This record gives sequence, structure tokens and C-alpha cells, in this order.
Amino acid sequence: MKRLLTRIAGAAAILMLSGHLASAEGKLALYNWGEYINPEIIDDFSKEFGVDVTLDTYSTNEEMLARIQAGASGYDLVWPSVHMHDIMQQLGLLQPAHPNQLPGWDAIDKAALRSHEDPNGDFCLPYAWGSVGILYNKTHIPELKSWKQFFEYAKDNPGKVTMLDDLRETLGVGLIMTGASVNSRDPDEIAKAEAFIMEQKPNIGAFRYDVIPLVTAGDTAASHYYVGGVLNTLQNPELLGFVIPEEGATMYQEDVCLLANAPNPHNAKLFMQFLLRPEVAAKNSARLTNGVVNTEAVALLPEELKSNPSINPPQDVRAKLQIFEDMGKDLRLYTRAWDRIKTN
Amino acid sequence: MIAGDTVRSRRRRALLLLLAPITLMLGVFFLIPLGIMVVYSFLEPGLYGGVEWNWYPYNYGRILGWPLNDYEEFDPIYLSIFLGSLKVACLTVLFSLLICYPAAFWVSRMSERRKTFVLFLIMLPFFANLLVRIYAWLLLLRPTGFINTLLQSAGLIAQPLDMLFSNFAVIVGMVYIFTPFMFLPIYANVEKLDYSLIRASQDLGATPLQTFLRVILPLTAPGIAGGSVIVFIPALGNFIVPAFLGGSKVQMTGNLIERSFLQSRDWPFGAALALLIMASVVLVLMIQFTRTARAQARGAV
Repeated sequence: MKRLLTRIAGAAAILMLSGHLASAEGKLALYNWGEYINPEIIDDFSKEFGVDVTLDTYSTNEEMLARIQAGASGYDLVWPSVHMHDIMQQLGLLQPAHPNQLPGWDAIDKAALRSHEDPNGDFCLPYAWGSVGILYNKTHIPELKSWKQFFEYAKDNPGKVTMLDDLRETLGVGLIMTGASVNSRDPDEIAKAEAFIMEQKPNIGAFRYDVIPLVTAGDTAASHYYVGGVLNTLQNPELLGFVIPEEGATMYQEDVCLLANAPNPHNAKLFMQFLLRPEVAAKNSARLTNGVVNTEAVALLPEELKSNPSINPPQDVRAKLQIFEDMGKDLRLYTRAWDRIKTN
Repeated sequence: MIAGDTVRSRRRRALLLLLAPITLMLGVFFLIPLGIMVVYSFLEPGLYGGVEWNWYPYNYGRILGWPLNDYEEFDPIYLSIFLGSLKVACLTVLFSLLICYPAAFWVSRMSERRKTFVLFLIMLPFFANLLVRIYAWLLLLRPTGFINTLLQSAGLIAQPLDMLFSNFAVIVGMVYIFTPFMFLPIYANVEKLDYSLIRASQDLGATPLQTFLRVILPLTAPGIAGGSVIVFIPALGNFIVPAFLGGSKVQMTGNLIERSFLQSRDWPFGAALALLIMASVVLVLMIQFTRTARAQARGAV
């Protein structure tokens, strides 16, 4: 009798425990960039853990920060770029989620711990990274290798190229071409970069994010664009190409962070743990065509991604990629330069 | 006497009751946000968006081109952007007026059934989202788009015209969006036009030009003024059209405001720019208001 009781109690305890683990129940609210997660991952997580997941999107770091600062509550996880991760952590908007104590953390490439504020991964989980290069139409330009070639083509075919409508990115190209760091705080260097872009402006068709339809149709020959464009080059390899220019390029990386006022921190950590699974990271990258920060996921990538020099670049190319740092008050230097470029 | 008073006070109470919701709504959704904007425009920008609560009148100085620190020089770029916006808004008013004024006369002479149908056609674009309609223009104007393909197959042009991402595309898009707003006030006015006055003018020996300038134009002036104001105000602050069809190379104050909040983290400067637009709109409305009042006073005499 007693044995039966203990057995029942044990079974009940196991049931309770497993119930606790498997059905975390309740909700999880994600606030991510538009089209920056494979929707299948959300579905899989939802099904496995019985969590009701909602996803809202933003299109710039500043937009997300403004909403969180204005008191938007109800979100659990956000995807700031590394410099915004630093800012948000300094502003006390994040709480430590300790992804570094979760199973699977060892597979995270330690080079991806780029945040100055969070060097050990106590707060946020590195998510994905990518470069910003050039997407081009091969019927117009058979092979594009460098910014130099891009601007020469633009000179001969004014209006047939576009650059991003982003002050840091596009002035960043100016800085790269004039031999300065994309995080320069030197007014003279920024002035030189401004002059460089200004000189190209008559040949640049537009400053624009949404370029894939234009490049595909051949309305523009080449466009400054994110590595996400590789997805289109894989679908249409005869027509489209993507390149990290020889002179160098900028790169970005986002981290997954837990907000200080997150209503569902437990589910949020569960989701981080889910993202740490190599097969999940690989599935995500296959959709986003981004670089992975999970060393075990690299082997699981589809062959065309693994061997793609834009997504999995060799070391010498990686060395030429620069990541943006927060400029603080000096952002004003860039703003003025950008306003002048846009106006004149 | 007493009865009259109660009727009057009852009326007053009813009026107050009827006006209360709109007053409350304007107070909450217009005056308070406006107040926040005014206050913010005099504060120091926060390092990461938002504001520092320090008195900081330089946002307005910056609009006028004053340098904020040592390495900046006097450079009135923001004023020139504002003047550029004024120009685009005025051109939009002009072209939509040129389209709508004759069209209003044409429609007003139609049979009732056709009139209703044409008015329905004019309202039809409102059923589709603005962004979708702007995107449609992108597809029409681009080098491999409908217009270029048509012109090329007709043998009229050898190379596709560069229409997209230009001032031309911006004006086309703006006129397209705002045409209905211009049409409706003018049409309302033209419809009421008393044709016996025109016949009288002709009988008295006026030339067609004289009839137009001295009879038709003054009678339809309120519609023209109303339509122009209704088009001018939103056109001045528009930022979608320059971003989409101008390729962000044509810049209006609306784009600058958007960027101040979403890219350069300078909310007070954005607020100051928004107030500048608002002030110019109020100015236009005041001119319009005093002119109508004067015209009415003259009409009374």
C-alpha cells in the first residue's frame, strides 16, 4: 500500500514536472525586425511548448528604441543591433537572461560576443550577422567585384544604381572609399566621405531600401543592399549576383535581448534555448540567408549557403567587414552631412 | 419673459451638450499633442531619442542655418528644404487646379446618372490603400514599366525615359493623390453656378474672356480657394511620395521630420520642423479666412 502510494506520488510528481517543462503555457511577445525570423521557427516553438507567440515588427533600431522608451510594454524579446544592445543595456531597458548558462551556449561563436556592455553573454544571445554589399543584375553587369566598379558603372549609366536610404550605411561607403573607419568621429574624414558621396549623387538613381523588384526587372543594374538579397540570387543565379566589395563593407549583427519589463521572462528564456539548437539556427539562416553565429549550425546549412562567400566569407574577407558603433552625440556630424547630401 | 429665458437657457444647455464631445476630442487629441510638440521643440535632444529637460532654443536656430558647434558653419540647408517643399506644394496645387477646374464644368453639365457615375469614379481611388496606389505609379513609371514599354513598342522612343526617381515623378504622384481633394470643392461651387448670370453677361455684350474673368471666375473663386487650401496643407507635409517616387533624392520637410525621429534621434528638431509646417499652414488658413470675411462683407454691401 505504502509502495503504491509512493509510486503514485512519484508518478504525479513526474507528471507535474514534465507538465511544467513541456507545456510552459501562456504567451510570448516578440518584437523583431520585419522578415528577420523564419516563421516556421515560431510555429515549431509554439507547437512544442504550447506557447501562444505574437510577433510585431519594426524597421529601424531607433523606431524600436523610441517605442520601448515611450513605455510600450507587453514585449518580451527584442532584436537590437549590437550598438543598440549596448545603448539599451546602459539605459536599463534590458534584464540579464543568462543565455550563457543555457544548454547549447558552447556552440556560439565567441567572436560574436561583440557587445561592449555584455562581453560574456549575460544579457543577450547573439542571433545572426550579415554584410551589406551590392546586389546586381548580371545582364547589365556580368561580374561586379568592387565599389570602384560600381561607381564607374554609375558614371557611364547615370540613374542605374541605387544606394541605401540610411545615413550610416551610405556615408559608411564614403568612409570606406576615402580610407577611413566607418566609425570615424573626425569631422574632416566625414567631410571627405560626404564629398565622395556628393560627387556620386548625380549618378545614383535613388536612395532606397526596397530594390529587389527593380534589380530583378533590370530597372536598376546594381543596388547597395543587405546580404538577405542572396536568397534571391539563389533562386535566380543566372540573373542576380551579390558581392561583398573588395574595398570592404559594413556588417551588422543582432542580439536577442530580454526586456526589463518583459511579462513572460520564463517563456522568453525557453525561446532563447530553442534558438540555440543548431538545427533551428540553420533553418533560420536558410530562410534569412544571414551568417550564423552558431558554429554547430554551419555544418547543417544547405550546401549553397555553406559555400557562399557572402554568407560564410573566408577569413580575409571577414577582416574587411566593419561593424557600426554607437556615435553618441557625434551622430550629429553624420546627420548634417547626410542632410546636405540629400538637399544639394 | 420668464418662459423666454428658460427656452434660451435650455437651448444653451443643449448646445453645450452637443459641443462637449467635439471639444473634448479636440482638447485631448489635438491640443495636448500640440502642447507636447511645442514644449519638446524647446528642449535639448536626448542622446538616444527623447528629450533632456533643459531649455534649448537652438532647434529653431538650426532650422535657420545657425551652426551649433565649432565645426559647423552657417548653412541654411533646412530653409532651402522648406522652400523646396513650398515649391512642390504650390506646383501640386497649380496642376491639380488646371486638371480639376475644366473637369468640374464638364461634369456639372452631364446628365444626373452620368454625374453620379463620374463622382463615384473620382472617389474610387480612396478604396485602395495610398501606398499601394503609389507603388502602382512606380510600376508605371519605371524604365521597364508600362509607359516606357508602350512608348517603345509604338516606336516613339528608342531608350526608356528616366521618369522614375525625379521631380517629375514626385509632382505626378502628388497631383494624382490630391486631385479628388481639389475636384470636390470646385465641383460643389461650379454646380451651383447660375447660368442666367452668364447669359446676362453675354447679352450685355461681354466677350467670352470678359465673361469668364468678371463673372465665372469670381463666382467660383470660393471653390478654387477652398480646394487649393485643402490640397496645399497635406501636400506641404507629405513624405511618402518623395520617398517612393523621388527615390529619396527629392527631399521635403516631411522626410526630414521622419528622419529626425527615426534615424537621427533628434526629437526636438523634428518637433520644431513640424511646428514650422504647422505655422505656415495656419498662415495660409488665416489669409484665406480674412479674404473670405472681406468678400462676404463686400457682398453684404
